[in-house]
Amino acid sequence: MNPYNLKSKAPITVCLLLTVMILTGCWDIRDINHRTLPVVLGISTIEDDQYKVFLKIPEPVEGSMEVKIVSATGETISHAVDVISRNMETSVDLLHVKVIMIERKTAEEGMKDIIAGFMRSREVSSKALVTICDQNMDEFFSKLSESKNLKGTNMFDYFEKNAGWNPEIALTRIWEVYRSIHSYTRDVAIPLIVTGDTTTYEQVGSAVIKNGKMVEQISNDETLLFNAFNDESTHGQIEVLNHASVMIIGNSMNHHTDLTDKQPVLQSRINLKVVVLETRGKTSSDMIKKELSHLLSSRFSSMLANLQESEADILGLGQLYRTKIDRNELKNWRSVYYPNLKSDIQFQIDIQNEGYLRTT
Amino acid sequence: MHVMLMYVISHLGLIFFMYPGNVISSTEQGHWLPVLLGVVIHFIFINIYMKGLSYFPKKDIIRIYAGIGKGTAILFIAPVFLYFSMILLITLRAYAEIITIVFLSKTPLWAIMLLLISISTYIAAKGVETIFRTGLLLSLLFLPIIIFIFFTSFQNVDWRYVVPLDADLGFIIKRTYLESFFAFSGGFLFLGFVQPYFSYDRKYILWAAAFLIPFFLFSVYIPVLTFGQATSATTFLPYVVAVDAININWLMFDRVTMFFLLSLISFIMLYLALVSWKAIRILSHYLPSIKPVKLLLALAAAVYIACFFIPDWKDVEKLFWWNTFLRFYILIAIPFSLFFFGRCMKRKGIDESI
Repeated sequence: MNPYNLKSKAPITVCLLLTVMILTGCWDIRDINHRTLPVVLGISTIEDDQYKVFLKIPEPVEGSMEVKIVSATGETISHAVDVISRNMETSVDLLHVKVIMIERKTAEEGMKDIIAGFMRSREVSSKALVTICDQNMDEFFSKLSESKNLKGTNMFDYFEKNAGWNPEIALTRIWEVYRSIHSYTRDVAIPLIVTGDTTTYEQVGSAVIKNGKMVEQISNDETLLFNAFNDESTHGQIEVLNHASVMIIGNSMNHHTDLTDKQPVLQSRINLKVVVLETRGKTSSDMIKKELSHLLSSRFSSMLANLQESEADILGLGQLYRTKIDRNELKNWRSVYYPNLKSDIQFQIDIQNEGYLRTT
Repeated sequence: MHVMLMYVISHLGLIFFMYPGNVISSTEQGHWLPVLLGVVIHFIFINIYMKGLSYFPKKDIIRIYAGIGKGTAILFIAPVFLYFSMILLITLRAYAEIITIVFLSKTPLWAIMLLLISISTYIAAKGVETIFRTGLLLSLLFLPIIIFIFFTSFQNVDWRYVVPLDADLGFIIKRTYLESFFAFSGGFLFLGFVQPYFSYDRKYILWAAAFLIPFFLFSVYIPVLTFGQATSATTFLPYVVAVDAININWLMFDRVTMFFLLSLISFIMLYLALVSWKAIRILSHYLPSIKPVKLLLALAAAVYIACFFIPDWKDVEKLFWWNTFLRFYILIAIPFSLFFFGRCMKRKGIDESI
């Protein structure tokens, strides 16, 4: 082996020593204890087109999580967040925002810029959920901060599919709202939330968003149909009828589309698999089937009629006509074709089992 | 095998960033046609190129052109060198900018560029064997991640966005479409440089190119299928935005984009190393008195300094556009000239033997 020759190894030794300088890590680093990581971001507009931003920040206090709510106003959302950051001892980092909450009034005025801003800066993950607060936001958050069972992430758990999610809750993310702003044929529904009496939150329905603007409201039952249509699972959903209540354990659909003379015709068959849970009085399985299919199809057609009136295509029906309508014409889908759509929805009910008891 | 991996890696690094955006904005519908056209052109030219190279066994293209005559050397080698320097400059600047846009929003550009160029210069200084060995290592480490994320990015697709399928040829003259060719023409020239060091089978390179076809196609189609054309045309890096929308509950990491991007950035570093190695091969052939390492350092320093003269993204795009002309010259002239000279040589050889 060669003896260690200082002269020839000198440059490399210097280089190696220089690398020690970068061993300190990145610069401008803010350690996690100097960061504030809000989970919920609430946005409302006040006078003079200013945004009022609320942040819900989980804070670890002696082994448990408590929640702090802070707010500030600003010309833009990032400005308002910056104001909060300035006034806090730690710096606010929106990286882990899971839920964006927008006040109803703001949503009705249009939230195009808000959503585009989130997509542009990429600071907030585009997977964050969007909800609308059907209540004054000051009131909402002040009620929340009084509430006792408020844990760090509970608003997120409310929506999370592997936690408190329910098929009646529309699950819509930022990128989906952004898509609806530009897409010709696709709109979205966003859950409408208020503070509840006994539970922390309560869903009062879903807001229908068209081109980034709230135009209509649908009920919780209708949201279920919306989810079924978008292939979000409807499993475990309980439907109450006059004579029985059933649990839906599976759904599938097929569509047949037709277009004659700018008049789209839609024939859909939705197959539902249900399990009987409870019956009242004398009930037969035929009756349950008939009642359920009648109930759902009337609910569906009334929802569709409402949606057609407001020209919002949250079911993505326009997607089905992509093969039939030219792309240039597709731009007019919402205004020309969609209001004329004739639909014929059939619900095919299969009672998979009836539990331990027989019905006649 | 090494050559094949290198081929795949350097292209993957180029595909997923600007290519989808360029193609999506070049036409409103039927994106399969621009992609397919690009792939077909790519196949034709690498075939001609490899055919041409096969007439000169065990020679790299510098010796081939130098052997033919001074004039041809200037006509072909000088643009190639210029092209390599431009690639280095643009890739370094553009990817540093992309890194700041996507994740390191507060880190200054010079630091990112310094990191990129110093690592790739170091690899290039160690020679072509090191580049290829690093290529093997990187592909073992990162190819599985990339392929995994590639498949999960189908999570949000709505296949009905595929239609309308009918396409027209209007995109051919669009500037963005012509720019998209950087993904095709950036990597293939190295096949002519590795000749004395590595031998490869033509068939395997074609297999590697075939392996890349789905990546070319779906890097464009995944954003289109997830967002629809109208929406994805508004985004700057459509594929990255589509990957951002992936939601995997069981994965402990929230943002898979980070893994995807870092893997690709490592590929880009290797690609930069390869390009600077090629540029140095040319330089040191004409300046044999100076040590290649010194040339390399000088080139890296020149590129690094030149990057500071590009203040914003608009200028990057301008450079990108100017380089497009050079790119097409390289893409067309080099394979054809090699093929032509090869044929001449062969004929002459036959004449002489008679």
